[in-house]
Amino acid sequence: MKTVLLFLSTTALLAQTPDPDFFESKVRPILARNCQSCHNADRQSGGLNLSSEAGFHKGADTGPVVVPGAPSQSRLLDVVGYNSDTKMPPSGKLPESDVATLRKWISDGAYWPKDAAPAPAPSTGKKITDADRQWWSFQPVKDPALPSIKNTAWAKTALDRFILAKLEEKHLSPAPPAQKLTLLRRATYDLTGLPPTTEEINAFLADNSPQAFAKVVDRLLASPQYGERWGRHWLDVARFADSTGMDEDHVYPNAWRYRDYVVNAFNADLPFNRFIEQQIAGDLLPAATPEEHQKGITATGFLALGPKPLAQQDRIQMIYDVVDEQIDTTSRAFLGLTLGCARCHDHKFDPLLTRDYYAMAGIYASTLDFRNLGRPGAVSYINSVPLDANAHNAYLAHRWRTTGKMLEMEEASSEDYAREGALRRPKIAAQLTAAWKVHATGAKLEDVAGVDAKEVGAWLKWIDASDQKARESYLKKWFYATAETIDGVAKEYQESFTTAATKWESQLNGWRNRYAVEFAQDRDVAARPKPDAETNPFFATAGFDSGPMALPDSDRVAFLRAEHAALLKSMPPEPALAAAVTENIPVDQHIFLHGDHHSEGAKVDRTFPYVLAGENQMGPKSGSGRLELAHWLASPDNPLPARVMVNRIWQWHFGEALMRTPNNWGKMGDQPANPELLDYLAKRFVENGWSVKAMHRMIMLSSAYQMSAEVSPEAKEVDPANRLISRFNRTRMSVEELRDSVLALSGKIDLKLGGKVEMQSKGKKVELDDLMRRTMYITVRRGSVPALLSNFDFGDATTASEGRARTNVAPQALFVMNSRMVVERAGDFAKRLLDDPALPDDKARIEKAYLMAFARRPDAGEIDTALSYIGSLVKKLPADGSREAAWRSFCHVLVSTNEFLYLD
Amino acid sequence: MPFRPTRRNILRQSAAGFGLLGLRGLLAAAETPNPLAPKAPMFAPHAKRVIFLFMHGGPSSIDTFDPKPRLVADHGKPIPFKRSLTFGEDAVKGLMKPLWEFKQHGQSGTPVSELFPNVATCVDDLCVVRSMVGDGVDHGAALLQLHTGVFSFRRPSMGSWVLQGLGTENQNLPGFITIKPSLGHGGQNNWSSSFLPGEYQGTPIGSSDMKIEEIEKEPMPWLVPKGLTSENQRYELNMIQKMNRVHAERKAHDPDLEARIAAMELAFRMQVEAPQAFDLTKESEATRKLYGLDNETTRDFGWQCLLARRLSERGVRFVQCSHSYKWDQHSELQKLHTKNAAEVDKPIAGLLKDLKSRGLLNDTLVIWGGEFGRTPWAQGADGRDHNPYGYTMWMAGGGTKAGSIYGATDEFGYHSVENRMHIHDLHATVLALMGLDHLRLTHRYAGRDFRLTDVAGEVAKGVFA
Repeated sequence: MKTVLLFLSTTALLAQTPDPDFFESKVRPILARNCQSCHNADRQSGGLNLSSEAGFHKGADTGPVVVPGAPSQSRLLDVVGYNSDTKMPPSGKLPESDVATLRKWISDGAYWPKDAAPAPAPSTGKKITDADRQWWSFQPVKDPALPSIKNTAWAKTALDRFILAKLEEKHLSPAPPAQKLTLLRRATYDLTGLPPTTEEINAFLADNSPQAFAKVVDRLLASPQYGERWGRHWLDVARFADSTGMDEDHVYPNAWRYRDYVVNAFNADLPFNRFIEQQIAGDLLPAATPEEHQKGITATGFLALGPKPLAQQDRIQMIYDVVDEQIDTTSRAFLGLTLGCARCHDHKFDPLLTRDYYAMAGIYASTLDFRNLGRPGAVSYINSVPLDANAHNAYLAHRWRTTGKMLEMEEASSEDYAREGALRRPKIAAQLTAAWKVHATGAKLEDVAGVDAKEVGAWLKWIDASDQKARESYLKKWFYATAETIDGVAKEYQESFTTAATKWESQLNGWRNRYAVEFAQDRDVAARPKPDAETNPFFATAGFDSGPMALPDSDRVAFLRAEHAALLKSMPPEPALAAAVTENIPVDQHIFLHGDHHSEGAKVDRTFPYVLAGENQMGPKSGSGRLELAHWLASPDNPLPARVMVNRIWQWHFGEALMRTPNNWGKMGDQPANPELLDYLAKRFVENGWSVKAMHRMIMLSSAYQMSAEVSPEAKEVDPANRLISRFNRTRMSVEELRDSVLALSGKIDLKLGGKVEMQSKGKKVELDDLMRRTMYITVRRGSVPALLSNFDFGDATTASEGRARTNVAPQALFVMNSRMVVERAGDFAKRLLDDPALPDDKARIEKAYLMAFARRPDAGEIDTALSYIGSLVKKLPADGSREAAWRSFCHVLVSTNEFLYLD
Repeated sequence: MPFRPTRRNILRQSAAGFGLLGLRGLLAAAETPNPLAPKAPMFAPHAKRVIFLFMHGGPSSIDTFDPKPRLVADHGKPIPFKRSLTFGEDAVKGLMKPLWEFKQHGQSGTPVSELFPNVATCVDDLCVVRSMVGDGVDHGAALLQLHTGVFSFRRPSMGSWVLQGLGTENQNLPGFITIKPSLGHGGQNNWSSSFLPGEYQGTPIGSSDMKIEEIEKEPMPWLVPKGLTSENQRYELNMIQKMNRVHAERKAHDPDLEARIAAMELAFRMQVEAPQAFDLTKESEATRKLYGLDNETTRDFGWQCLLARRLSERGVRFVQCSHSYKWDQHSELQKLHTKNAAEVDKPIAGLLKDLKSRGLLNDTLVIWGGEFGRTPWAQGADGRDHNPYGYTMWMAGGGTKAGSIYGATDEFGYHSVENRMHIHDLHATVLALMGLDHLRLTHRYAGRDFRLTDVAGEVAKGVFA
């Protein structure tokens, strides 16, 4: 009763205070959705403007529409309640809940905040113009005619003609062909991220056929390491990481499945249009086999594995922040557009409208990203999708049965505890008094009247076994009691025990109820409480385990406990889950004015950007619209995805893209120096069934790819940034290439393909220095990216990457100089050389080391320098192990040089 | 025993073994602009460097620097106002009075509670900002906003922006250092350079879960040679650089290759200089005591504060110390705020006094505070919930008005009502104290210009001396 009164008085209090939150979150959206399209500042149907405070207070031509505090006298309620001649809105009666909201608002005083200065319009009312549609990157992909050129001997392939034409325009000649081994090193890193082995070097040197290099390319494309190298490129675009980042950085335990999916997709040369579709809607695509369907589910990790602010208490905000980053990633990755910029207003530069943004937002808001939004004050839960729904349902059923049994057992046990306790607790005082008599006066147990000797015996046994600490603390009073005080003392013990037991009962019951609710709601379940030994050690010790008041299981409880144990034992392991998305209930998406979900604007259909897909679009008939989005993104009619991807492929081969802002093909983006080449490649890409491997062959077998990285003075002058492709680009290794190369040279590299990489072994964290797996398998927590990665331009794995920076900073040099990993692996490298029976002397070892690290043989001077370096160092070092240490240092030198770190 | 090569040895080594070979590389590197080179501020600065003492968890303003008699009077009464979005919705109880007595201190008479007896002796140097406002109700969002201005996206940290604007004065140390940061609640996002160049990212010194001894072994990654002694390592480096020179010669002195040669030399210099900066044994006994290094309770934060001073005086632009994830008292406020304050009070006072006696306080801006304050109502029996709507931070030195109080909260200490200082305003103000206009300190990324203050922020002139 008390609580009810308190509640009423609080409500009464609130009624007098203006409540802007209620107005903005509840009332304004109703008015915006249903009234403002006619009753706005411009139209003012019936003289009424319900879009501003001033308009509202002015009322309609007929007079005020609301009497604050008096719903029954307010015309607005009559009209929306369809209780008068005028029935609004004409499209249909408002849901009763909306009417109730308006009624409450009016009875609370109809508070409407003063109009602020007019905010900038969320939509500039911008229309897509013909000029907008004419933007170069929005044009259909053309098949340009091959340009005429002079140096026909150089242009081995059609692609070369496009490059040569531009060079000849500027009177530049292409760089000479790269040395044979330079080309081998380039191609091997390019396609696998690893150095060529000496066997591969020798085989290539020995092959003088015209197809020698084509064979190398085929060999590399067939190697499983190809998928790892190119998959890693894609993971950068997909902002892949193993945790949610943002506020609490929760782990995605199944992120690795998406990583494996990507690696396998590249290895299998999955057509890129199919790759797009699977990542957006793989769960919805028809699949020939269950495995195919599982792949599809896993592929949607692309959407599911982004950063998520799980602790955000404004859940709607959280959901739309996730939607936002999905829009941003999707549009940059596949369209090369920054649609994310249109969240609060129309795009400042590009013809992308706020409605386009919310049209896609509607699709992702109709997609399930969260398993559970959690209770207030706690975090939300990420979604995991079973790969095999039937197996998972069976597993869940078993879990339900097991939990049900556990709760049944707990309940039975509680009943016993209450019943038995009520019988036994009132006897504690008498038993303790009797025990005291036996203990202190030497009375015989059988002689003490009025108590059960067995029960008193249990007390005595327990007291005798108590340690000194217990005797000096919670049993002290009993030990120091006298014949005069023992009755009182024993009573005190009984009361204290009884109070604690009652509390314990309610604590346990509370836990059981909470557990049932939490389990049913699929939230984290609380652990069974433990008796509080700190506040009442007497109760916590005497009442449990072998204590005299411990309650053994009754037959019924023992039976249930055994049943529960059997169920637990027969519980199957949880079937595989993927970090993936699923369909949710479709939402009616409204534009959020200024990106604020509290203020809803017009409703938008779940469609695609007007400028690309036209203005006559139908939203999806059913479902979220993801499937339709997937098909649209992968359609050959969509000019962007093929262009965007061939540009990336070029970028990953050459170190620089043709269009140098690969994620931004809008007005703030780069104008490519060779748009014809771009279109030529995009056309061939689609023509060849979106085969990425076919693109590799086309590019790598061109003269352009096989040019030297040396820059001529003319080229440096005319084409300093190499936009015309007058040479190959010398590039610093990525962190993956660097670390994987050092591992490869050490012979310790673990080339196992895919799978989950445990960063824990035997309960201990695996130091990165000791991990032999390839770098792409290192767990990346967004909140704590390993220093190795972050120092080497790995990026933040938070937004779609445009390509890695290639800085040269001191911490990178420190890694090479002083990391345990590099030093130890250099030692392994040295040991390989020293232990190799095929190497007769130090000269041969140095030659082999050069071949392994640089893919070339040293000249005589280099051999002498190396020999003298090793010789002098041996003298400087303590005699014991000096040779090994000097060779380790030499190998350390090799992997520290620019010649190793840079790829020509 | 931390690695400590002597400067003399190194110089001798490099002169003998490296000499002219490296010179060309260094010259070439000097031609390529160094993003960390000191840059002129936009206008005359008050502060040259920042030390940010971050109290992770959210210390209660109304129990420390913002006394509220009304809470004493209404102790235990129901909450008489509407609560805004708060973190914990369970266990909301009535108003709770401050659990510590306040007294006025110094010439200025600035009130400080019993929790900070040592800081209380420094109040005449403090500018207490009682009107802070943030938007994050949970720790993660609040930390991100405090450090980067924004909580929904990954954005550059305040220290990264300062480096972008001013560079740093010591090229042998990182320009932005965060000591023992928390890995939770945004972790690295709180010191990342995001889309700014990677050189501007914060360098963490250990993390909050590490012991000082563990950190001292290798305060920054890869600072300590693992294979050879430092003299032999110089010999090794000479060999590397010799090969690099020959290689660069063959490759037409590609500036990238030259830059790497320079980076290797810089790395070697850092390896020499940085351990000296981290060697606190160089400090006198009196100084160590001043920071509380002689006491187990104060040792950890004292170590951080003393290290911060050593880094600051060596020209590190932005240093952050973290008293990590301690102040989140949803329960046991009495017990744990007492403990927390005891851990930091003496070190903070020591830092302020030390900076002052060395003449560094004038141009060093010290900032103290958490990600939010705590509610005037009780949560459960003896806790307080998060309150980002009105809380206290303070600043000292660096051109702030000594012995002053800026802004105010309402009579319950719940909402900021006078001279509101939103986190955006704090950022604008800090930049202004350093001679940077937050509206002009921009970076173009993904087609638009970004700032630390997003689309907001006003400089609070009232805190300027």
